[in-house]
Amino acid sequence: MGSQFVDFNGDGHLDYLTATFDGSPHIAYGSEAGFGKPERLKDANGERILIASYWDYDKKAHLTTGRALDTDNPPSERCISALAFDWDADGDYDLLLGSYENGHLYRQMNEGSNAAPKFTGKNIPVMAGDAAFALPAKMTAPRLVDWDGDGDLDLIAGSFGDSYSQNGKGGAVYLSRNRGSKDKPAFAPLETLIPPSPKGQSEPTRPDAGLYADAFDYDGDGDLDLVVGGYSMWTPKGRVLTDEEKATVASLRKKQSKVQKEQSGLMRKISAEATEATLGIDRKSKEFRTKWSAVYSKYRDQTSAFYKRTSAFTNQIQKLVPGPQRKSFVWLYERL
Amino acid sequence: MAFRTEINMTKRSLQALTLATVGCAVLFSSQGTAQGSDGGAKFAAPKRIKAGEAFLGEGRLYPSPVVHDVDRDKLPDIVIGDLFGKVTHARRKASQPTVVLGTEESMKDRSGVLLKFHNW
Repeated sequence: MGSQFVDFNGDGHLDYLTATFDGSPHIAYGSEAGFGKPERLKDANGERILIASYWDYDKKAHLTTGRALDTDNPPSERCISALAFDWDADGDYDLLLGSYENGHLYRQMNEGSNAAPKFTGKNIPVMAGDAAFALPAKMTAPRLVDWDGDGDLDLIAGSFGDSYSQNGKGGAVYLSRNRGSKDKPAFAPLETLIPPSPKGQSEPTRPDAGLYADAFDYDGDGDLDLVVGGYSMWTPKGRVLTDEEKATVASLRKKQSKVQKEQSGLMRKISAEATEATLGIDRKSKEFRTKWSAVYSKYRDQTSAFYKRTSAFTNQIQKLVPGPQRKSFVWLYERL
Repeated sequence: MAFRTEINMTKRSLQALTLATVGCAVLFSSQGTAQGSDGGAKFAAPKRIKAGEAFLGEGRLYPSPVVHDVDRDKLPDIVIGDLFGKVTHARRKASQPTVVLGTEESMKDRSGVLLKFHNW
């Protein structure tokens, strides 16, 4: 949910622009009394602004459409970030839309004004050098900032990296400098500001995954620092165990493994039953979801009980052998 | 989808946080050396930012910070959004000799309702 405070409708009050995982940009218009309720931005045809994938609130399903990319074979790209940017310097805000899956950036032009916007509903890929802007390992959100102090707005953007595994490559923060002119931005190939996290630490030392960055002179010393939210992932160092404690750990792991095998058996049984109950039914239909959920609901007490038992073993084991930790924080990268 | 799995995991592991109502914020320093450069920029080792007595954004679902003067006192505050669409902010109380942030608070809209953006 990258955010931008901008006077989007040109009424003299800052508005709060963002995009959420439903696949569309949202805005809470500001006023003297504060922000109004958030609403989704729409294009000139009255349709939701999006990239391709989105959550349909009526059908209660994740769907994909090619209307904004003019294709019958749309990629599975979901808009989870949005920025207001006057791309063509004509006095009104256009939109930059960031996709999660491929880390792409698109612009959608405003053919109206700030007070009465008319977004085209069509997305044009933003380039970084000769290639499409594409953040590796999925994009969190881009930011517009004059990073190099040359009077135009550059782009910085964070990536997710592997957000779950303690070993997979982590997220990073990248820069794409604007080498163009005021009415014709031209973004350069990506440079690395914060390299991908290698992880593997025994305490929180940096954001490792899901890096959302903002650039600001945080300490007032005249240069741009980075404020970065994200998940830290670490495994605390354990102490040397006695022989008795080692035996306890081994016993607990053996018991846990037995319960996990029973749990897996139950999950296979549930999956088979759900598959049989939904045979021949359209997987995207409400009927499919209802029947599938009904099977899983029937076994909820049993699956919960298994979860509690395996968690109890994990808690006991981790008192002696610390397990992997994962927690979110916000970090300051102070520019030297 | 990956985020759906994340939601289920988080719901099972949520903890209640006790926040100080009034407090000074100090930066928690982690040891290390400068890392990262873009050919011109180098950074000090990152430090977790504190808001009041707690770490800013701790435990939030993909916290995304943006610096913004929320209370219009000409001091830059920090606003935190997250994957749920929830919005909080920590107001800057002082800048010298070190940055001091107050306790993180929920942001509300002009009718007094918690500001929350729709998700799925």
